[in-house]
Amino acid sequence: MTPLSASALPPGFRDLASQDAARRRQTDARLAAIFDARGYREVLPSGIEFLDVYTRGNQVISERAFKFLDREDRLLALRADFTPAVARMVAPRITPGADPMRLWYSGNVFRRVEPRKGGYAEFWQVGAELIGGSTLEHDVEMIALALENLDAVGMSSASVHINHAGIFRGILNAAKLPDTARERLASEIDHKDARALATHLEELGVTAAIGEQVHVLARCIGGPDVLDEAAAVLTDAESRAAIVHLQHLAAALTPHAERLVFDLTEIDEMEYYTGVMFTLLSPARRSPLGMGGRYDLLLRAFGGDSPAVGFSLTMDGIMEGR
Amino acid sequence: MRSTLLIALPKGRLFDAAIGLLQRAGVETDGGVGSRKLTFTDKGGQYEFVALKPADVPVYVESGAVDAGIVGSDVLRELECDVNEPLDLRIGLCRLAVAAIEGSDLTALDHLRIATKYPRTATRFFSARHQHTHIVRLEGSVEIAPILGLADAIVDLVETGRTLKENGLGIVEEIAPVSAKFVVNRTAMKTRNTAVRKLITSLDKVIYAHP
Repeated sequence: MTPLSASALPPGFRDLASQDAARRRQTDARLAAIFDARGYREVLPSGIEFLDVYTRGNQVISERAFKFLDREDRLLALRADFTPAVARMVAPRITPGADPMRLWYSGNVFRRVEPRKGGYAEFWQVGAELIGGSTLEHDVEMIALALENLDAVGMSSASVHINHAGIFRGILNAAKLPDTARERLASEIDHKDARALATHLEELGVTAAIGEQVHVLARCIGGPDVLDEAAAVLTDAESRAAIVHLQHLAAALTPHAERLVFDLTEIDEMEYYTGVMFTLLSPARRSPLGMGGRYDLLLRAFGGDSPAVGFSLTMDGIMEGR
Repeated sequence: MRSTLLIALPKGRLFDAAIGLLQRAGVETDGGVGSRKLTFTDKGGQYEFVALKPADVPVYVESGAVDAGIVGSDVLRELECDVNEPLDLRIGLCRLAVAAIEGSDLTALDHLRIATKYPRTATRFFSARHQHTHIVRLEGSVEIAPILGLADAIVDLVETGRTLKENGLGIVEEIAPVSAKFVVNRTAMKTRNTAVRKLITSLDKVIYAHP
């Protein structure tokens, strides 16, 4: 191995020089003021967790975590995602019937990247979690708060692309497909390959009605009218309930109507979402500004039981235009 | 925001077929011929193209440095890129296969040495069948490796099988069919949905018009 110079950084990492560091502090202060005004309390979970926290929370993220051993040879991980860490932190303090907890955080997360792809391994996230909030109003509060935060950092061009985990789950459960077929369908939907999807559905011999429902997942992107389009073909109770939920959400978010896109083609990226899920995008940026959603089952993995909804913003992308 | 859609094309075996397909879909370009500029546009001014090494195409698309691209499914599977793949272009058709010296019996070996440009694909394929392998990663002329004793077999693209034959090799097993895919950056798929959809629709029409 060629020795590196004494001033080298490991690949995937960078320093913040004076101006960037000052900008980060100013931005942080601006967002803190918003969270404060909305009644959110700041938390900062430990920077290192047992790896187990991430494997319980999110398999994909845990694979990308930086891992090492403690003195008793237990597997540890650098903070790779805030949501499982916050869930681990608050789960023992959940009391039934208590008021929802409104929490926000700001800090760095670390994920291993492939050098080939040139991504960063350390990035700054700011986000919020509404623990114990189970209603549509709480979903609305999260989306509006995410947009308010983006406005405060000059991202008023941002739009929110909304889906509901119950739609995909409901359609696939109703279609009663074997697991292997579900996996392949998920991959075709994820690729957005309508033709491969159609060929596969034909091979599976599903009914025309079920085929039409799966195609909803490949096609429906747009304003609230795509929800009506989906409602016209969906028949199972779970996906229909999810559509109704999104229709109510659209109505409640009318002040932000021009920033809403309903995108039923995006399936769960984070594994832990159970209801509404959303991605924040701007035409001025090449990667998502952030994402969020409802994760009603995650706290059970840490011995609590509470519905929850949250979002996180990827600040480096927002501030640097990458 | 750029008004044109920026699309990466793969240099090499797929380039001419990709330009031809775009042409049939109504996207006229001169393929950048006779110019030293790195990018070229179509006559309608809706698209901008950049020619890249095939293995770099998915890297540019995934990062969002370009909106979309054309790349072989062999490269895409090898690099495990996180992009949308909305259309199979049915060009550059060939196979990814395991090949060895004609007459050699690989089943007699319990540890296979494999020479390939596709280390991940090869590892996935052999580990799925519980076959232990040692992968030698090469950049080209993979066929020579078994002849010189560097490896027991190779994993490589096979178009006609002529190169294999001329070197005394034969296909042992096919791994997967290969064709070029139209790939789109995940963010561009949403923020530039109308423009992307329009191109997919025109491509789809000419590719699948006469099945």
